[in-house]
Amino acid sequence: MKFVFFHLMPYPYLPDDFDEAYSSPSLTFPNKHFDREIGNKLYHRYLDELEHAETVGFDGLAVNEHHQSAYGLMPSPNLMAAALARRTERAQIMVLGNAIGIRGNPLRVAEEIAMLDHLTDGRIVSGFVRGIGWEYFAHSVNPTRSRARFNEAHDLIIKAWTSDEMFQWTSPNYEYRYVNLWPRPLQQPHPPIYIPGAGSSETFQFVAEHGYTLMSVYAPSRVIQRWFDGYRQVVAELGHPPDPSKIAFSVPIYVAPTDEQAHREAEPQLGWLFRKGLKQGPEIVFPPGYMSPASLRGVLSSGAKPFAELSYEELLTHGYAVVGSPDTVVNRLGELQNTLGFGQLIGLFAIGGMSHAQVVASTELFAAEVMPALKALGTTR
Amino acid sequence: MTDTKEITEEYLEFPDGRVHLLRGGTGEPVLFLHAAGGAGQWLEFHELLARRFEVFAPDHPGFGGSDELPEVEAMDDLVYHYLDVIDRLGLDRPHVVGASFGGWIAAELAVAAPHAIGSLVLLSAAGLRLPDHPVTDIFFLTPPQLADALHHDPAKAAAFLPAEPDIEMALAAYRDMTALARFSWNPFLCDPKLERRLRRVTAPTLVVWPDDDKVIPIAHGHRYAERIPGARFAVVPDCGHAMYFERPAAFGEITTDFLAGVTR
Repeated sequence: MKFVFFHLMPYPYLPDDFDEAYSSPSLTFPNKHFDREIGNKLYHRYLDELEHAETVGFDGLAVNEHHQSAYGLMPSPNLMAAALARRTERAQIMVLGNAIGIRGNPLRVAEEIAMLDHLTDGRIVSGFVRGIGWEYFAHSVNPTRSRARFNEAHDLIIKAWTSDEMFQWTSPNYEYRYVNLWPRPLQQPHPPIYIPGAGSSETFQFVAEHGYTLMSVYAPSRVIQRWFDGYRQVVAELGHPPDPSKIAFSVPIYVAPTDEQAHREAEPQLGWLFRKGLKQGPEIVFPPGYMSPASLRGVLSSGAKPFAELSYEELLTHGYAVVGSPDTVVNRLGELQNTLGFGQLIGLFAIGGMSHAQVVASTELFAAEVMPALKALGTTR
Repeated sequence: MTDTKEITEEYLEFPDGRVHLLRGGTGEPVLFLHAAGGAGQWLEFHELLARRFEVFAPDHPGFGGSDELPEVEAMDDLVYHYLDVIDRLGLDRPHVVGASFGGWIAAELAVAAPHAIGSLVLLSAAGLRLPDHPVTDIFFLTPPQLADALHHDPAKAAAFLPAEPDIEMALAAYRDMTALARFSWNPFLCDPKLERRLRRVTAPTLVVWPDDDKVIPIAHGHRYAERIPGARFAVVPDCGHAMYFERPAAFGEITTDFLAGVTR
């Protein structure tokens, strides 16, 4: 099992009237609520937590990209990766991922990741995402072109990383007459690629054909099981050997000495994450054309509850989050691993408005008492 | 809806798909270009026009019953598409009536091919970029917010929303909005070059605006009327952007009276 410490870098200090007054912490939530002094300290605190995770034994430190949102303060995950690059030595630095669907100039992503590969001495991991629906509003990118832009940007970036000759690039959304990347990345043929996201059969095909890593996002474990099974089926159909290390389960985790303490401390913070951080209406999550008709039909007919309507008990029993004493967390993650068959665990340890002390304590308990018990899992399936 | 027995439903075949078309009435041809909503619907407004004219009401590519035509991906493609539609239907300088998004298409058509159309009626037309009078971001609105934005009369707004959640209706609406976004996400519902090109319009033109338009401010109507040579301007009182959904008789009468007075 590979263990990753994933930070969302939330801004948890929402106004008291947030629930009544604002439809979401994203896109239009006024930036006057970003307190400069508090925000400044948060960045340093959060980077400290990522660096600390390496010292206690995590294999990877992960960051991601979001725009115009209190849900996450990383419009540029590559800057965060750069901040970590020379303060860490062993762990992979994982950008999960760059939102290449909304980038005006995806060649810039190829350049920055190549630089990061050198700054980390070959420890960079490059995730690619389309970007959340609201980010197509935020960066004024046409969501009806989202899939095409993602696919074209991906193909361009991979070719830019791997080509030894200058080339010309022409695709419906991008045109470059001179592509000639300096620097080339250190890792060969290029840094490992992760594809976070929900599961369509097209995505499984794409990830499996390229040998990338599939990473889950917030969903009940029965849905994640369907994704991972679908992905494994495509891998088998392609004749590739099964490889659990290419399947990453991401989940919020909180560990405390006792179950009672863990639940008492985690419940309000998971409430923040799912009821405030992820508060967002379909009009900003699914802008027109962002979803294929089949995917939208699936969402509309799934009957899945909106995050905000899930009770704390449902968050735990459905596998949206894992909370408890070390023993409880070992058992629950072991159970989920047995069902889902993942070989990488990407934990969100800084949840909502958790204090620095809580995050550090949970991270340390996890590393000391949970990791060793799970280490051997996920190597075969 | 008064008289539907003479309406025909047909399809125009194109290389990548087909276009759905409703046709009714007799008289001089009127090409009606629908708004973001209303594709595939023959309404009281259509019926009023059809008492005096032969009305052709196609669904734009990707809307209503029309296929998404991959080669029609931007406004310039839509203009060529409608020049093709006019030719395919054998129309000789039809009157062109466009509402909202369809009004934008109509204005572009009148600019690109001034001599191909007999007259132009713009009903709260999109298409202009007036930074001091921004168009409401209809992509961002929840269904109740959209209902309020479209209507003057709260009772009409309430009636606009489906009583029960309906997946098929939601998917059809998402498909129409996706088609709209393809043409108009960015630049948002406009062609920044359109305003300066409006002087090319030679067709007799009427610009009509509802007085309580909360989607496209009436300043856009004034600007259209200023820039199109000889254009007339009319206001329909107590009405929102939904126009002929909200006050079909008023819009039917104003449009019919103008078209009847045009010498093509």
